Amino acid sequence: MALLDRRSRRKAANAVFVTFCTGAAALAIMTLFAILFSLVVKGVSGINLDIFTMSTPAPDSRGGLANAIVGSVMLCTVAMVGAVTVGVLAGTFLAEYAGLNRWTSAYASIVRFLNDVLLSAPSILIGLFVYYIAVKPVHGFNGWAGALALGLIAAPVVTRTTEDVLKLQAKQLRESGVALGAPMWVTIQKILWRASQGGIITGALLAFARISGETAPLLFTSLGNQFMNLDMTKPISNLPAVIFQFGLSAYDDWQRLAWVGALLIAATVLTINIIVRVLSQEQKRS
Amino acid sequence: MSDSKTEVYESFVEEIPADTIKLDVKNLNFFYGKNQSLHNVSIPFQRQSITGLIGPSGCGKSTLLRALNRIYALYPGQRAEGQVLLDGENVLDRGMDLSLLRARVGMVFQQPTPFPMSIYDNVAFGVRLYEQISKADLDQRVEESLRRSALWNEVKDKLHTSGLGLSGGQQQRLCVARTIAVRPEVILLDEPASALDPISTAKLEETLVELKADYTIVIVTHNLQQAARISDHAAFMFLGRLIEFAQTAKLFDNPRATRTADYITGRFG
Repeated sequence: MALLDRRSRRKAANAVFVTFCTGAAALAIMTLFAILFSLVVKGVSGINLDIFTMSTPAPDSRGGLANAIVGSVMLCTVAMVGAVTVGVLAGTFLAEYAGLNRWTSAYASIVRFLNDVLLSAPSILIGLFVYYIAVKPVHGFNGWAGALALGLIAAPVVTRTTEDVLKLQAKQLRESGVALGAPMWVTIQKILWRASQGGIITGALLAFARISGETAPLLFTSLGNQFMNLDMTKPISNLPAVIFQFGLSAYDDWQRLAWVGALLIAATVLTINIIVRVLSQEQKRS
Repeated sequence: MSDSKTEVYESFVEEIPADTIKLDVKNLNFFYGKNQSLHNVSIPFQRQSITGLIGPSGCGKSTLLRALNRIYALYPGQRAEGQVLLDGENVLDRGMDLSLLRARVGMVFQQPTPFPMSIYDNVAFGVRLYEQISKADLDQRVEESLRRSALWNEVKDKLHTSGLGLSGGQQQRLCVARTIAVRPEVILLDEPASALDPISTAKLEETLVELKADYTIVIVTHNLQQAARISDHAAFMFLGRLIEFAQTAKLFDNPRATRTADYITGRFG
């Protein structure tokens, strides 16, 4: 009797736990769907050709998001070029050269620690920092500062993934490059980077997805621009800042544009995540 | 280096004519940090022949092999003392150009390690590092290397597909082709057949026997039959020491050291 009691108590406890877990998962998924749903409902109706051909309008007039889209693409592209260059080289140092001697390994642990700090630093801090080094001294908001702020957010992600994927490569792959008479740096560039390229690209795409929606650092740096501007030394419009400004405004058509902008970013991030999934599946298969 | 332990390690090394020696190891000691893993190893490797290194796991045969092209230098904390004379020149000298050394002393590893590129580029990789040759010459070199490693017929129609798509045995022969394409003088093989099936193993062994006409080959193997089949000389190692070095037939039929006899009759190891 006592045995049966204990068994049914255990079963009940299990059922409660499973219910809670399932409930929490459902809550997470429902929230995500609610966001996507409102995005699609409020965003899709606003999509038309004007969005891609006209710049942000004054209240109660016709317009689109062309300047913000172009601006975001420019800022993110420049940021990613910098972040991938620095991140891949730094990650390569951490994975391949850190163990060279006492000094390099001490240096590497400092770099690795700071990189982890930077990885989780609040983006508004980075925006403030870049404001003081790249906006204030030149007396004006500018695109370079925006790209720098985004790059500082993306670089640690690329550094970390590069280090991780390089460390996954077999020791013998390094040795067989070197055993053919290739110096270490050639072995790294021609063999190890190539063997790791799927992982490195994945890391870069995830970093890109991360920065594509960053708002705080851009408000401090690139600010925004009502007009189409391709000059990186001047303020440049961008989607997150437009969403921030238009979304909080009192005008219906501005709010509608904000929803479209949000939908565009969400669609981009979703697409990138799907690409990453496919890439890593292929990586696993080969 | 006198051994303070009571056990005496007697070493039986058969002389070979000095002018046939390609690679001569003299009093080699090897250290992983503070641990010494080779003790006073002296062994000659004859040109145009295959020398097999045998012994139980951890006896130092791979360590010896890895000292010959100084691949160990990739890892700080590993060091070798003594002499490894390649045509009379000590490869352990500080001034040695390691990349050039490794182009002269090639190495094939236990696990096949094709590079993530086409079969053609795998073979051409090492050649491109040191030689500026025309496309036609390179094509020819690639074909010749693949023929000599007995892989040509299987891959000639898919040279530009990834080397990762080949079977394990084919990948290992690709690694051999890649190594001989550089035209080294010595080829070191570290248990090259341990990941292969019997048919691939047989093909690889045939390849090695054909290659010995032009190269000095040193092979580490766990497989005694393999050593007996393909090597001209064999060396038995135990606990970081060379116990016996002799012509393969002599070492297997009539070993001079008791330890060698015990090992090849399967009494330990």
